[in-house]
Amino acid sequence: MRDVNLSVFPAEIFGFLGANGAGKTTTIRIIAGLIKPDRGKVAIGGFSLDHDFIKAMSQVGCIIESPDMYKFLTGMENLQQLAAMSSRVTQQRLDEVVEMVGLKHRINDRVDTYSLGMKQRLGIAQAVMGRPRLLILDEPANGLDPAGIAELRQLLRRLAYEEDMAVLVSSHILAEVQQMCDTVAIISKGVVLKTLKVKELGNDVVVEWQVDKPLLAIELLKGNWDIAAEQTRKNRVKAVIERVMVEDINQTFINEGLRLAYCEAHGSTLEDLFLNLTGGVEIV
Amino acid sequence: MYRLVQNEVVKMLRKKRLYIVLGILLIMISAFAYGQYHSLDRTREQLAKRIGMTDTGDWRKLAEQQIIDMKNRLDSHYMDEEHNSTTRVRMEQLQYYLDNNINPVDISGARFTTRFIEQSIYLFLPLLMILLAADMVSGELAGGTVKLLLTRGVPRWKVLLSKYIALLLLELNVVFFTLLISVAVSGIFFGYGGWTEPVATGFQVAAGKLITSNVVNVPQWQYLLMVYGLAYFVMVVVGTVSFMISVLVKSTAASIGIMLSTLVSGTFLSSFLADWTLPRYLFMVNMRLTDYISGSLRPIEGMNLTFSLTVLAAWMVAAIVVSFWYFTKRDILV
Repeated sequence: MRDVNLSVFPAEIFGFLGANGAGKTTTIRIIAGLIKPDRGKVAIGGFSLDHDFIKAMSQVGCIIESPDMYKFLTGMENLQQLAAMSSRVTQQRLDEVVEMVGLKHRINDRVDTYSLGMKQRLGIAQAVMGRPRLLILDEPANGLDPAGIAELRQLLRRLAYEEDMAVLVSSHILAEVQQMCDTVAIISKGVVLKTLKVKELGNDVVVEWQVDKPLLAIELLKGNWDIAAEQTRKNRVKAVIERVMVEDINQTFINEGLRLAYCEAHGSTLEDLFLNLTGGVEIV
Repeated sequence: MYRLVQNEVVKMLRKKRLYIVLGILLIMISAFAYGQYHSLDRTREQLAKRIGMTDTGDWRKLAEQQIIDMKNRLDSHYMDEEHNSTTRVRMEQLQYYLDNNINPVDISGARFTTRFIEQSIYLFLPLLMILLAADMVSGELAGGTVKLLLTRGVPRWKVLLSKYIALLLLELNVVFFTLLISVAVSGIFFGYGGWTEPVATGFQVAAGKLITSNVVNVPQWQYLLMVYGLAYFVMVVVGTVSFMISVLVKSTAASIGIMLSTLVSGTFLSSFLADWTLPRYLFMVNMRLTDYISGSLRPIEGMNLTFSLTVLAAWMVAAIVVSFWYFTKRDILV
């Protein structure tokens, strides 16, 4: 991991997107104080993790890697165990979160009888029960059925926008992040490549031109707008640009004497961007 | 802190390990009591047959015969010196009992309860402790639940301390139940009496000879408390070392395996103790504390109760320091 600089704000759902092994969980472990970084620091709600561990971590609720629970206890006993570790959580609050994650009917069964989706729900319950200011969920949609994912999305929105939580969600599923998050950071091989607002995503498009002199086209794009383009096939050039620039660029190409056979714009999704930035999903 | 300890105790009880341990205890104590009862019967029978005694109720005659047997064994040239010194000490001890009119042959419920600890303090009880302690931390690491504990705004040392205190409490419970089960079971075979019988303690061995000048007679119940106190101390030490191993390794199986082999190695390292001084600083050869006060230990120059207690205490402190140091520093990657 190097040069990772992230800020998550209250009332924001922050997506952390990366391929398997990109460093998502390692980053999250560092934020949650499970790993000491060689350099750099983490502050939660203004408290440094190094100097004020207890104050910093008291404001965090998290699931890391997988929703591990004590299998030989019931769901409720698990929550009670963890509630005993902080002073704020009452039995009433426990009942409330159980209801919230939809586990009411199975909460008194032993966890080893739970499905992965149910464990995930229980994991979310223990993470939110202390009303944390920062909620960290590592791959929370794993094991959830489609209805469960929709519920999770609603739940996270409610927690973020109504209870002012800062929510950090990691995922390798692009569509999920695009649907769920306000801000996305894309991480690959331990480096954060780009942080962007999901709302602004539609502004960028991937455009492909078919021209007779692709090298000249690339040069023009670089020289005039500082846009990095690449030759995809024999006569094709591809680049990520702002939607409003397409006309200008086409005009310039024609003015410079390029024969423009056609021009195709794909509405840029997070997927295009992700693949563009990471150069394919290769596990490091 | 109280609630953290409570959490750990709840987990321990729900894991059912304690019940398994108590079940094993019940079976072993019953078997041991039956064995004792049987062999006592046999000894009496054989002696009676040899000396033509019809009334086997007189323990003095039995004891006298045992002394004669031992004397004959000492005169035999086939025994090595090491074995002889043990026999000599035992013989002198028996003589002391005779002289002081203390019955060493018959077994009462109270005496059995003491003897069970004397026999199990160096291997059986420590094994049970390992069962309890070996997964206290490694279990959380293997199950991933350690992440839940360490991301809660509770410092790591507190989490570990609560586990250690829970372990001490459970060990106390095991000792208490050992006492309870022993008394209950042995009473069936030997009767529930014998609590005020005198027991001789304070035997010392110097140059292969038994010294009885410091011997005092204490009532059986008092001696029993002493023995159980020593047993608890040994269990705490073994539990602490086992706890340390469970902090250091991730898998419970590895943790149990390491401790098992360590304990077993102790039993055969013991045989080198007279000639080789290094092993005597290992905790596992110093666990027969009760043998020092009952005087039944193979005499080894330089090893006495104080020495063994010091070695054990040193191991305990070291294990605590290592456990806390490593647990508060380590990266959690599960």
